[in-house]
Amino acid sequence: MIQTTGLSKSFNGLEVLKSIDLRVAPKEIVVLLGPSGSGKSTLLRSLNGLEELDGGSLEVNGVRVEAGMPSKKKQAGFREIRRHTGMVFQQFNLYPHKTALGNVIESLMTVKKMKKAEAVQIGERLLDRVGLLVKKDEYPSRLSGGQQQRVAIARALAMEPAIMLFDEPTSALDPELVGEVLEVMRQLARDGMTMVIVTHEMKFARQVANRVVFMDGGVIVEEQEPEIFFQNPKSERSRKFINQLQEH
Amino acid sequence: MNLVWDNLPFLLKGAYYTLLVTVISMFFGLIIGLVVAIARLKGNRLIRGIARVYVSIIRGTPLLVQIFIVYYGLVDYGITLGPLTAAYVALSINVGAYLSETFRGAIQSIPKGQTEAAYATGMTGWMTMRRIILPQAARVAIAPMGNTFIGMLKETALVSAITVTELLRSAQLLIAQYYVYMPFFLGIAAMYWIMSTVFSAILNAVEKQLSRVY
Ligand SMILES: Nc1ncnc2c1ncn2[C@@H]1O[C@H](COP(=O)(O)OP(=O)(O)OP(=O)(O)O)[C@@H](O)[C@H]1O
Ligand SMILES: [Mg+2]
Repeated sequence: MIQTTGLSKSFNGLEVLKSIDLRVAPKEIVVLLGPSGSGKSTLLRSLNGLEELDGGSLEVNGVRVEAGMPSKKKQAGFREIRRHTGMVFQQFNLYPHKTALGNVIESLMTVKKMKKAEAVQIGERLLDRVGLLVKKDEYPSRLSGGQQQRVAIARALAMEPAIMLFDEPTSALDPELVGEVLEVMRQLARDGMTMVIVTHEMKFARQVANRVVFMDGGVIVEEQEPEIFFQNPKSERSRKFINQLQEH
Repeated sequence: MNLVWDNLPFLLKGAYYTLLVTVISMFFGLIIGLVVAIARLKGNRLIRGIARVYVSIIRGTPLLVQIFIVYYGLVDYGITLGPLTAAYVALSINVGAYLSETFRGAIQSIPKGQTEAAYATGMTGWMTMRRIILPQAARVAIAPMGNTFIGMLKETALVSAITVTELLRSAQLLIAQYYVYMPFFLGIAAMYWIMSTVFSAILNAVEKQLSRVY
């Protein structure tokens, strides 16, 4: 479903991703862990081209993009990839000038050129799925953080993605609102969605992940089943990371 | 003051031209401003450079000189424009430069996350601009745009210099006829003031309306 080969990325000469080889199988749920600045977000954003790769290649849902390709071709590839991947951001990034429903149906109408009536039907079904049908006519500014993030998930699902990418979806939420978002994600997992998730919710990671990918300093240090990773990690750096988590 | 009352229809006709020049130049200025703003943000090096030079020249030279260049200067190259047309052209080009700065700032003020969210759902750059960025930027730009509009209304007095019979020139013609200054100047000052105030009020109402939407 996802395969990166020697994927690397630098910002102003600083190499943030160093030759990453990552594979994600269909229906697999991968949680990316690692200390701050280890490159988790950059890797996740590289998967749908929000960060353009400098080296290596990636293949997502059958679309291949290589660092060496001409810029036009890369862009076209990424746009194709984005049509089949959903992304959920830490800061929700809902469109403030559109209602909850408007947010969800926007790309159905612009990208998929769907008729409004048809898009609305899909949009309402998705808002219902995240438990927010009653809020469909509210603007984001009148929704709680948890509700906003659930709308953002519905918006991503509207494009019928084969893969969902989450970058710390609950980190900007008040603690009491984290649960409702995680619940929606659990439901997605049960429905068999392929997911790559960056999160600090360790309990959630442990319950939901099929595999933990631990990053540090721009490289993948360890890939492991969650139970083994949390109880008996193989690498020294993973162990340190987990010990630090437990101190908090 | 009776002189002003007696000649009010003539002055009102001048006011009409003042408004006409303002509205038409503003309309084309908005289009120019938007195109130039996008050119400066999204164009390649050459286009960005051209746009930057345009803005710099317009902002760095007096409007009256620009008006003269369009009306008198172009004649040397065989382009003869009527006074009113020259006024539209010069003022549109002028206000377009200022508005492009307003729009550029407004577009840049929209958080990067908005673009990323739109891209992430498969939108193209153009769709994102039109559907996500510009609607939000418009709200940011509306207040400075209103100020530009009212500034314009007053600056149109300069086109009296190329014989457009707008408000100021209407007064000058009456003065030449009656040999008194003050009543006419005070009269048109009052008319400018009324127009500015009315438009300010309208713009405030529009702004309030817009800020209520979300
Ligand atoms: N746009 C950018 N420009 C320059 N440097 C960047 C940019 N984005 C990320 N970086 C740098 O890349 C490195 C990795 O950042 P990244 O955001 O991927 O880390 P992370 O693992 O997601 O961290 P966190 O847990 O804090 O979110 C950091 O050193 C960061 O400063
Ligand atoms: Mg991050």
